[in-house]
Amino acid sequence: MKKSTALQRLLKRTEFYIFLVLIALIIVIQAVSGGQLLEPNIVVTILRTMVVDGLFALGCLLVMVSGGFDMSFPAIAALSYSLATTICLNNGWCQTTAWAGFALSIIFGAVLGMLNGVIISNFALNTMLVTLGTQTFFTGLSMGLFELKEITSTLPKGLRALGEWSLFEVQSSAGLSASMTGLFIFLIIAAIATSFVLNKTMFGRALYAIGGNEVSAERAGFNVKKTKFILYTVVGAMAGFTGMIRVCMARQSIPKALVNKEMTIIPAVILGGASIYGGEGSVFGTMTAIGIISLVSNSMLLVGIDTYWEKFFNGLIILIGITISSLQAKRNRR
Amino acid sequence: MKELKKKYGYTFMLLILAAIVIVFFTLTKGKQFWKPTVWQGMMAQFPEYGIMALGLMFCFICGKMDMSFMMLADFATVMAVRYIVANVTEGMSNSQVGGVILVGVVIALAIAVVGGIINGLLVTQLNIPPVMATISMQMVWLGFSTALTRGDTVTGLPTLYTEIGHKQLFGFLPLPMLIFIVLFIISALVLKYTVYGEKIYMIGTNEKAAKFSGIDTTATIIKTYVLCDVFATIGALIMVSTMASAKADYGTSYVTRCILILVLAGVLPNGGMGKILNVLITILTIQIIATGVNLFPNLNTYYASLIWGGLLVIVLILSTRMVEGQLVLFKKKNPEAKSRKLYKND
Amino acid sequence: MSEYLLQMKGIDKNFSGVHALDHVDFAVRPGRVMCLAGENGCGKSTLVKIISGVYTKDEGEVYFEDKLVEHITPAEATRLGIQVIYQDLSIFPNLTVMENLAINSEITANRKLVNRKRWEATAKEALSKIGYDIDLNAKMGQLSVADKQLVAICRALLFNAKLIIMDEPTTALTKKEVDALFKTVRQLKDSGIAIMFIGHKIEEIFEIADDVCVMRNGKNVFLGETKGLERKDLIYYMTGREINDDFFVPENISEKPVLEVEHLGLKNKFEDVSFDLRKGEILGITGLLGSGRTELALALFGLEHPSEGTIKINGKEEKITSPIKAQNLKIGYVPEDRLTEGLCMEQPIADNIELASLKRLSKGGILKKKDILADAQKWVDTFKIKTDDARKKANTLSGGNQQKIVLSKWLANDLDILILNGPTVGVDIGAKQDIHHLVHELANEGLAVIIISDDLAEVVVNCSRVVVMKAGKIVGEMTGKDITEDNIREIIM
Repeated sequence: MKKSTALQRLLKRTEFYIFLVLIALIIVIQAVSGGQLLEPNIVVTILRTMVVDGLFALGCLLVMVSGGFDMSFPAIAALSYSLATTICLNNGWCQTTAWAGFALSIIFGAVLGMLNGVIISNFALNTMLVTLGTQTFFTGLSMGLFELKEITSTLPKGLRALGEWSLFEVQSSAGLSASMTGLFIFLIIAAIATSFVLNKTMFGRALYAIGGNEVSAERAGFNVKKTKFILYTVVGAMAGFTGMIRVCMARQSIPKALVNKEMTIIPAVILGGASIYGGEGSVFGTMTAIGIISLVSNSMLLVGIDTYWEKFFNGLIILIGITISSLQAKRNRR
Repeated sequence: MKELKKKYGYTFMLLILAAIVIVFFTLTKGKQFWKPTVWQGMMAQFPEYGIMALGLMFCFICGKMDMSFMMLADFATVMAVRYIVANVTEGMSNSQVGGVILVGVVIALAIAVVGGIINGLLVTQLNIPPVMATISMQMVWLGFSTALTRGDTVTGLPTLYTEIGHKQLFGFLPLPMLIFIVLFIISALVLKYTVYGEKIYMIGTNEKAAKFSGIDTTATIIKTYVLCDVFATIGALIMVSTMASAKADYGTSYVTRCILILVLAGVLPNGGMGKILNVLITILTIQIIATGVNLFPNLNTYYASLIWGGLLVIVLILSTRMVEGQLVLFKKKNPEAKSRKLYKND
Repeated sequence: MSEYLLQMKGIDKNFSGVHALDHVDFAVRPGRVMCLAGENGCGKSTLVKIISGVYTKDEGEVYFEDKLVEHITPAEATRLGIQVIYQDLSIFPNLTVMENLAINSEITANRKLVNRKRWEATAKEALSKIGYDIDLNAKMGQLSVADKQLVAICRALLFNAKLIIMDEPTTALTKKEVDALFKTVRQLKDSGIAIMFIGHKIEEIFEIADDVCVMRNGKNVFLGETKGLERKDLIYYMTGREINDDFFVPENISEKPVLEVEHLGLKNKFEDVSFDLRKGEILGITGLLGSGRTELALALFGLEHPSEGTIKINGKEEKITSPIKAQNLKIGYVPEDRLTEGLCMEQPIADNIELASLKRLSKGGILKKKDILADAQKWVDTFKIKTDDARKKANTLSGGNQQKIVLSKWLANDLDILILNGPTVGVDIGAKQDIHHLVHELANEGLAVIIISDDLAEVVVNCSRVVVMKAGKIVGEMTGKDITEDNIREIIM
């Protein structure tokens, strides 16, 4: 029997092509902008944009691998961080350190995620519709029941300080300076952790198995219910954490800030090789796709395009990416 | 009798839900709730998203999803309003203004047709899963109109146009309501009595079998997306008239609301099922909830989202216990029956 | 110790009023192949599910290795050494062969972390059990059905299986693959493992089974050795009626061909295919899976677009670009897979029957509702489709009746040519004969019929002429008395 080589397997992977696209884009934009793209301050800005989107995308990836579809994570994040910052503000917490705010937000996120988990693990329902429902419900909770307000200038100092955490300063050749945010470390840790969970733990394998064939997974002896419950709880906690990171970076807590965020994150994760039918996807691909999105968003001015076109080009890139991957899937089926 | 129960069991349940909502608001806010102005307000409000829900219903019956209709409709109305504002000058007679408005409306509808065709082509020719194709298109349309308007609202519409949303025919019938009624009747007839209606039910149930039976699936699916997006744009044109302006991201919450309405009405996006009567009852119930919540001065409008979101989840859970159009809450599961997975995402 | 590995006595099972199993006795001996046969809905899958612990029995006793087993759960069944290989094989198409092989034992060992080396060792051990070699890093979804099946068997063997139950394992296999599978089954048998085979193909039962248990309507009507059992008797046990092979005798074949295919070719699928078809004859096109037979059928129906050659309909050259065009040329096609290609299961029977006739039954885009129901009712009556109301959903019917709907869908049109792709796959013997008779009648009434099938018995009984395909080319043609299974088999391989 012929064994396939590592190279042959690499050539079959979507991630490989997405990575090539990223490299190609970098080269093209670098050329068109006259070498401005790889100026240190621009690179630092692009990496900075990746933090929040990347963290969201990792949670989204976990759900998509299991064959689910989560529309509610921005709503979970928004409700969690708004509640957490409001509580911190009212009690005078988080003046020097940020951990109380993070702990609260993660706990709230986990509880909200648990609600998704309970419903999805107990009933065989379309996860997209369920999470659309919980998304609306959570938005109603934060803006209706709790009437959470925007917190801008009064944001606790500890959170503000974390957002200003700088690893190092860089300077472009033109003398523009930018600082590398320390929060990027969290993205790296989260990416490594997610990759470890997906590839090296039975929990991760269970997600791929459920995404591949849920009935088989059940028969093989996986506890599908428990796995899904844990999954949605963890993803909720991750959303709470990510939301808080966003608060720190933006130095404000706005309940409405993440509306429609899922509409950019989910397509990006699919662009990165995850399948809408489940069972496929990797951390590397997801991070590459988020890199592409951040790159395009931040290089509009460099190539002389009005920044108002940012959304259009993001949409276009995702459309093209998804088209290519479905054409590839069609070819593979033949 | 049993037959009737089977056929209209779900409609009956929706009516009970509507009755509960009405009784609740009557008991809590009776005086205010039954004021004619409140009901007139409702009649003026629901047509804009009601029409969108009707359009999306065709997509759902055909087993397709359209997430892009609102952003496309926003783009279409932005273009229409820009055209109208640019071409209406001081001192034009009413009929001249009317002519410009008509051209604007035609522009909007033409854009909707193009958008629908693009959606249909992406889904049928490139085999992109409908959710993904239309989410991407939604971003493209949003990006387009954001770039054109630089994120601002477009204002300056002539009063002749802004009147449409408020006009009362015969002193009680809002014009948008009339448009809704007409479109509703057309949709009902199309679903029940036309070849096209039959085709979308069959495609929604099994697209491959329909294709193998010589049904022009590609054309039918494209038609369905066009229909959905044209309906959405008509809704948005009414919305623009009541708002007296257009914007790239008006009405984003309508996407969720329309999906909610349809799922609540038993029109699931896995296709092949759905009764238009149930959709009508649900649209009205949703509007009553929205208006009713507004009657409580200490509750803000987001309480309605709370109710809708909760309702959607509860209905989905209950739908797993539906057997032949009837709710079976406490019956032992028949082990022979396969777990009723409603459908796989796509 | 008795000679039996598994013994079941007086098993009874009710499902909300339906008596699925009526005091069934059943027994399996080690090192033997037992075939559990019967038509769809006879209760055989219920019996299997009781053995594997999915259902609990209402009454009766189960002995495994002479020990009374009170309560079987799926986990208990695995511990006892019972492994079920379901029809869908329970595999993960998105994972590699290695992962598919090792994952079950990893779960059973309750491991939390993944150790590639251990997984690989487990996978290799599994493959060595039947001396099977395959790329461990290949994606499961890209393997052929036969390979998937072997992987599933290897996986089952990891659990020291004493009894392996296979649910209709040959359905999606070609004859060659079936032979390979049977070789493996005999190998397992020789090592002392008992195999339980669920199926309804008569030939296969006689080829592989040592013992046979036939069930009908929840009762077992026969339990004993295959040796000495007559084919005719077995069929009688299964269907409850006498079934004879009624060979098709063409009555009036038209002079002019209605279809002429000349040098037709489709890249990488088939090439230089030429044949003609006359009214009143049934032409069989047979060949192994991948011989190009299905692609040829699809090309005649406009679902594949041939790159060379011509198709003439009634002497006139036509390009069949879509099913709509094919329909206009009076060609009908009954697809291979009823479930995914043939029927809209959730829709009424009437709507399914008239799906291809909407043009005839409408005017200016408006449906003639009454005509549709009346016309459908006419077909329900003609074909004796077992339903009291044509407005009921198609999924309320059995496989044979569903196939009749697909047939009537096309016959409701005025047809010249009817292409049947695997017309009786998954259909019970009884219903199968009904469908054959029906096709004979239609041909004799002047319809030109093409049957595409790799069920040689079916081809021999029904066809007046047979074209054999191999690797995309026509390698033989035979008519009349020359059509025998042996003759076809000689050139098909």
